[in-house]
Amino acid sequence: MPEIVDEKRVFSLLEVTTSIQKTLAIRYTSSFWVKAEMNKLNHYPQSGHCYPDLVEKTEGKVIAQLKSTLWKDDFNRINQNFLNLVKSPLKEGIKILFCARITFDPMHGLALRITEIDPVFSLGELEREKQESIAMLKSQGIFNRNKSLTFPLLPRRMAVISVQTSKGYADFLKMIEGNPWGYKFFHLLFPSLLQGDKAVESICYQLEQIRKVVSHFDVVAIIRGGGGEVGLSCFNNYALSKEIALFPIPVITGIGHATNETVVEMVAYRNAITPTELADYLLQEFHNFSQPVERAEEMLVGKVKRIVTDERQHLQHLVRYFRSVTDNVLIRSNHDIRQQARDLFKQSALNLLRQKQAHSSVVYKVRSMALTLCNARRQDLGQTLFMIRKDLTSFLKQDGNQLANVVKTIANMHPENVLKRGYSITRKNGKAITRVDEVSPADKLETIVTDGVVITEVQTIIKSS
Amino acid sequence: MNDNPNYAEAFEELQQIVSEIEEGHISVDELSEKVKRAALLIKICKAKLTSTEEDVNKILKDLDSTETEE
Repeated sequence: MPEIVDEKRVFSLLEVTTSIQKTLAIRYTSSFWVKAEMNKLNHYPQSGHCYPDLVEKTEGKVIAQLKSTLWKDDFNRINQNFLNLVKSPLKEGIKILFCARITFDPMHGLALRITEIDPVFSLGELEREKQESIAMLKSQGIFNRNKSLTFPLLPRRMAVISVQTSKGYADFLKMIEGNPWGYKFFHLLFPSLLQGDKAVESICYQLEQIRKVVSHFDVVAIIRGGGGEVGLSCFNNYALSKEIALFPIPVITGIGHATNETVVEMVAYRNAITPTELADYLLQEFHNFSQPVERAEEMLVGKVKRIVTDERQHLQHLVRYFRSVTDNVLIRSNHDIRQQARDLFKQSALNLLRQKQAHSSVVYKVRSMALTLCNARRQDLGQTLFMIRKDLTSFLKQDGNQLANVVKTIANMHPENVLKRGYSITRKNGKAITRVDEVSPADKLETIVTDGVVITEVQTIIKSS
Repeated sequence: MNDNPNYAEAFEELQQIVSEIEEGHISVDELSEKVKRAALLIKICKAKLTSTEEDVNKILKDLDSTETEE
């Protein structure tokens, strides 16, 4: 009951809260369905109760806000429904359709007590969230960004985002560590929650960590497993998907057996679905590198040996061929030489014969010409001789005539003949006198006549005039 | 010719030599040199398959140093 203090009615706090409680109980008698965004679930594992924060937003701004309670039994039942139908536990950050009644507790104030949450509505909401993530990533042109990176030739260095104790991580490690080919991987675990409300934040944090030391890694592997199909809705989260799409090195996922591929798996470089398949994929990449190397080794040994053998055979073949060719050339040359020798001999003999014939013909010609010449000369000589003789005879004849004349003259001139003709020679002292001066009177003179000498004495000298 | 190729370069060069030899584009004169080179490249590639030089401590140190910078 209110007390009177200084003429004022004063209520105790409990009286006020009890009054509100009463009023509300009268006004709100039944439960009703409400649509709101569950901002926080605020689940307390020890008590099992939840105290979800409910909000309504317009254009990102909170325009209504109310606390709520979800008691342990209701939560467990609702959560099971969600796991069965949505394949995800009840999670915060999505719109829910719930049945509630207004409660007022003097200690905890006004709240909605949630008795039921419609999983079908949340399913639609989750799908809508997923589609929204896809649409946003696509509109920003980053949906295929991680896929368009160049995958390393050897994904040797892995940053693994997983849960240390999970079965999937253990399976994965077993496969890549114990691979029978001796392939060596380097991997470093960046432990993270992989399901539930905290997963997005946890994974994003580890991605950020990896980004700082990204030069040490070839790929990021997100490995989950053993969790069944529940709790995968965090992998449709826009912020996480964007982080993965924009990650500077390829992100590969082995998240689990999702009926529908999550957005993270869609934007990852490769989604291997399960951890073991992821390990298989990595080993296959190693095979893809190793096999050509192995093949190269085999090829080098085999092919090079064959090339050398082939070359040797080829060389031997060439040598044989060369020998056979040179032999042939020798034989042919020998034959040619002999043939040429024969030809030369034959030709020389023929030439000699021809020369001999030509020679004898010349000799004959010379002889005949000489003879002809001799005859001609002889004839000429005969002619000349004849001419000479003829000329000489005529000359001699002419000269004989002249000589006879000369002889005759000479004979005529002989003193005897002169004397005969009446002439005489008068000599004085043996010397013929030709002039009167040579004689003087009384000189005895001899006068010679043909048949003797008359001696006379000069009487008179008369000199002719 | 890179004397210290990384595994991607080694792999590519090896593939190149293999195809050259397979297609018979290599003379016997070059063969010995190429085979020697290929053997080296194979060794490099195989070593990369079966060993890793990453050091966890180095990565953790790098992580720490980036965190203290922030």
